[in-house]
Amino acid sequence: MTNPPLDLPAHTGSRTTRVLGAAVLVGVATMILLGFFVAPEDDLMADSVRMIFVHVPSAILTYVAFSVTAVGSVMWLWKRSVWWDIVAHSSAEIGVVFCGLTLVTGSIWGRPTWNTYWEWGDVRLVTTLILFVMMIGYLAVRSMGGDESAVATRAAVVGVIAAINIPIINRSVEWWADRTLHQQSSITDGKLEDWTLFTMFLGIVVWGVFYTWSMTHRFRIAWLERELRDGDLDEAIAARRAEAAASGGAS
Amino acid sequence: MSDTVADDSLAPREPRPARTRRRKVVPALIALVMVGAVVGLVWNLASGSLFFYNADEAVERRDELGDERFTLQGLPIGCSIVEGFQDDLPIVAFSITHGGVSADIVHFGDPAELFEPDIPVVLDGAWVQSDPDVDGFDGLADDGWYFASDRMRVKHDNDYINDDGYEDRLAESAEQVVVTEACA
Repeated sequence: MTNPPLDLPAHTGSRTTRVLGAAVLVGVATMILLGFFVAPEDDLMADSVRMIFVHVPSAILTYVAFSVTAVGSVMWLWKRSVWWDIVAHSSAEIGVVFCGLTLVTGSIWGRPTWNTYWEWGDVRLVTTLILFVMMIGYLAVRSMGGDESAVATRAAVVGVIAAINIPIINRSVEWWADRTLHQQSSITDGKLEDWTLFTMFLGIVVWGVFYTWSMTHRFRIAWLERELRDGDLDEAIAARRAEAAASGGAS
Repeated sequence: MSDTVADDSLAPREPRPARTRRRKVVPALIALVMVGAVVGLVWNLASGSLFFYNADEAVERRDELGDERFTLQGLPIGCSIVEGFQDDLPIVAFSITHGGVSADIVHFGDPAELFEPDIPVVLDGAWVQSDPDVDGFDGLADDGWYFASDRMRVKHDNDYINDDGYEDRLAESAEQVVVTEACA
């Protein structure tokens, strides 16, 4: 008995992902142009203000990515939906990249502005670092191996616990307004003008499209991995059945 | 592949591998890091409200703080800033204000890049009961104490102003009114 070959696509691209990918490239090129040559420097911070075009969008997409992970985790725990589990895992991987970028750009921006790369006493900074560590922990749990369902459940619990930190990070500069080195929200309370404001919002859109593009690819890869694994399993079962049939029904 | 996990009892079962030392240590380490992260979060949130004292609080708690090292925040008053050297080391003396109370500061070392009047600073150091001995510095607090600082951060706000109206708008701010009155 032979198994039909698995009907898996050769790649994870589609017309939509190609359009999204092209939009990201054009968006990044536009951001570079606007960020470096059109948006004016800040009267006090001078050129270092341009870090806002990467830092703020990265922070927002960190919230989005880990919120999606939390939703996917809840759906796994509730419905045992593999689709949602893959969504949670894929979003966590991308979210860790965005969160790392937020920490690095914030630190680089902090040196000329605050006169320090890092401040352990600042609630916004430390809670963001803790979120990063927790999501690294999430990925570590994912990579532990063992029973797939048990791993997904453990990771989902970590994903949900980590997400509790998101509103704390977001509101920390308001709740500890007079006790934090980090400035308050640039989007809701900040004073940004003209090209600075436009370029920052463009950054959020471009990062959002990049997130959608990378999520689509990562999800498809994870889905195909499972298909392949399940296909291999089906093959093994079929081989075992054939073996049993050949030896007279004993297994 | 189905959307939900199926209990496939036909699947061939491999013998369970013996639990190795690594299989026990890795989850334990991950659990430890996660617990550490949660403890760190709680500790940080609990202590977040004590990151720094504002100038008025630090002056009020002067006896309690003694010579203990702490972090202080306030708005530098422009007309008070004096830069110089002490034993070949750069120093900057100035007064800060917050909540209508001022305090005199002697910062040992180079000031922060963005150190300017009317931009709040966060300083690490301790109270010293003495008049600051800096040539040309006439502290606005002048209360027989100064804050000896050795680490300065600038607390920038979320105004990313990029036109020539900066000075005009700064003059309109409430902080500037306080500073102007203090210098007068």
